[in-house]
Amino acid sequence: MKCGVKFCGGCNPRYQRGDAYRQIKDELDDIDFDYAQEDVPYDQLLVIGGCPACCASHEQYTAENEVIKMWDESHIESVKDELLKRNSNKGE
Amino acid sequence: MLMTGEQYIESLRKMNTRVYMFGEKIDNWVDHPIIRPSINCVAITYDLAQDPEYADLMTVKSNLTGETINRFGHLHQSTDDLKNKVKMQRLCGQKTAGCFQRCVGMDAFNAMFSTTYEIDQKYGTKYHDNFVNFLKMVQEKDLVVDGAMTDPKGDRGLAPSAQKDPDVFVHIKEYREDGIVVSGAKTHQTGSINSHWHIVMPTQAMREEDKDFAVAFALPTDAEGLYMVYGRQSCDTRKMEEGADIDLGNAKFGGQEALVVFDDVFIPNEYIFLKGEYDFAGMLVERFAGYHRQSYGGCKVGVGDVLIGAAALAAEYNGAQKASHIKDKLIEMTHLNETLYCCGIACSAEGQATAAGNYQIDLLLANVCKQNITRFPYEIVRLAEDIAGGLMVTMPSETDFKSDMKVGKNGETIGEICNKFFAGSPACTTEERQRIMRLIENMCLGASAVGYRTESMHGAGSPQAQRIMIQRQGNIEGKKALAKAIAGIK
Ligand SMILES: Cc1cc2nc3c(=O)[nH]c(=O)nc-3n(C[C@H](O)[C@H](O)[C@H](O)COP(=O)(O)OP(=O)(O)OC[C@H]3O[C@@H](n4cnc5c(N)ncnc54)[C@H](O)[C@@H]3O)c2cc1C
Repeated sequence: MKCGVKFCGGCNPRYQRGDAYRQIKDELDDIDFDYAQEDVPYDQLLVIGGCPACCASHEQYTAENEVIKMWDESHIESVKDELLKRNSNKGE
Repeated sequence: MLMTGEQYIESLRKMNTRVYMFGEKIDNWVDHPIIRPSINCVAITYDLAQDPEYADLMTVKSNLTGETINRFGHLHQSTDDLKNKVKMQRLCGQKTAGCFQRCVGMDAFNAMFSTTYEIDQKYGTKYHDNFVNFLKMVQEKDLVVDGAMTDPKGDRGLAPSAQKDPDVFVHIKEYREDGIVVSGAKTHQTGSINSHWHIVMPTQAMREEDKDFAVAFALPTDAEGLYMVYGRQSCDTRKMEEGADIDLGNAKFGGQEALVVFDDVFIPNEYIFLKGEYDFAGMLVERFAGYHRQSYGGCKVGVGDVLIGAAALAAEYNGAQKASHIKDKLIEMTHLNETLYCCGIACSAEGQATAAGNYQIDLLLANVCKQNITRFPYEIVRLAEDIAGGLMVTMPSETDFKSDMKVGKNGETIGEICNKFFAGSPACTTEERQRIMRLIENMCLGASAVGYRTESMHGAGSPQAQRIMIQRQGNIEGKKALAKAIAGIK
């Protein structure tokens, strides 16, 4: 599964967004993560916000699945689970 | 094309900018230890734009070219753009704890875009096209532009045309077929030296007799006849000390202001945006000041974030972090800082489109924002100094902390003595405590206090300038009508 990643701009993040991303990426090595680009089609889009506003723009990217958003450290595990699930669904 | 910080620094080396400091011409000003921190501060606005963790705020699609540009060169297209501007400034303040200088240009772009449009509508001039062409070039090359508004102003009680020396306001000295020759100066110019270009604007509303002073234009920073005299900052020569690091408080970043002199500078027609239409000088000033008053609801908040963090660390290093009054003071600092942010976001959220199509902030709320900025950073500084303790201003130099000179009866060195007596909680080393005290000193009364305190007071206009705007926009008549209706007064 090809997953485009988009960060919010980080004006006042309540946790280390980069560390959270690395944690997710490192554990899900079956998934092909990349920073989202406009002209690349993705299976999945992951938006990493720094606070509940999760204001990152993402409408400019194309992805088959519904976008997954996170804005808190406590979301890391559920995001991993959801990505795993979607990745295995794709394999079926 | 987005430049990297390094490319930006290299681009400055190619310029023939004339800089004077301490009575001397500074040829290699890019690497000068007093100037370099301010260049680093601007460079980070380039580096953050290249980083996927920050690009969503730092970059945006240009409405002029459709290309991705640095947001500092953008014309706001919506209230979201206005809010993102404030967020970007908070981010840059957090990363530098200083003045990153690039917002004066951005605020000038947005004020100039809408004002030139309205001048052309009234007078059939071509200033808007001139400006749009200029801005496209700025966006394409990812340039830094200084927004130069404040004149020396001489006798504050006299109009520009009534001054004994006309040079205390920038003015047109000669009208030519292909352009104008300007003379005068701009004071307090933030980021002037490390800008690629300047946009020059009048500093106040003008009357007919001040026609020659109602002038706006762009020029390269190394234009013939233009030069700068670098402004001193508190503790600036500490940067010249050999191996200076801890004593600087913030070794990498800083702000910069300069006196910019126009010694009969020729401006070709294509870079002129206002030439004698004195009735628009006030509009331009009001719009620029409005945007700039919004800006402070972002940048000063980011710097405040760092100061609050430094105060919290100082409390930990002093071993006082559990005291209830310390916790309460940190809460108060946060409350004040976030109130400023609320103002920055509020005046953005209530923004509206100008006739030219770009968005401008709500002027009443932007002025309220800046009025609070003239106060709250001072209170935040007071609380930081309270929490830090006197050490932030009485500690010996870093050279003493490293000194091997034996001074004690048992052969103790100065360094050992300093480390013994300035040790705090076991949670930190003495050097860590030293570092945080020096950072607080730097922000409260050292080089960065220029930006965090006095610029908060006078930058974008002294407090009274906002009060005049608040009076004008405050709708007292509407409020009287409300009171009459409730009180049953017909
Ligand atoms: C750190 C810093 C950075 C800055 N950066 C920039 C920049 O990048 N670009 C730029 O254009 N400007 C910049 N400024 C300038 C700023 O806008 C001015 O400082 C501000 O407009 C006040 O002008 P002044 O400093 O000349 O003070 P003054 O005008 O001398 O004001 C001093 C006091 O006198 C009062 N006063 C002045 N004139 C009158 C009058 N006619 N009637 C009644 N009261 C009066 C004022 O209200 C104030 O209380 C910067 C200023 C600072 C401190």
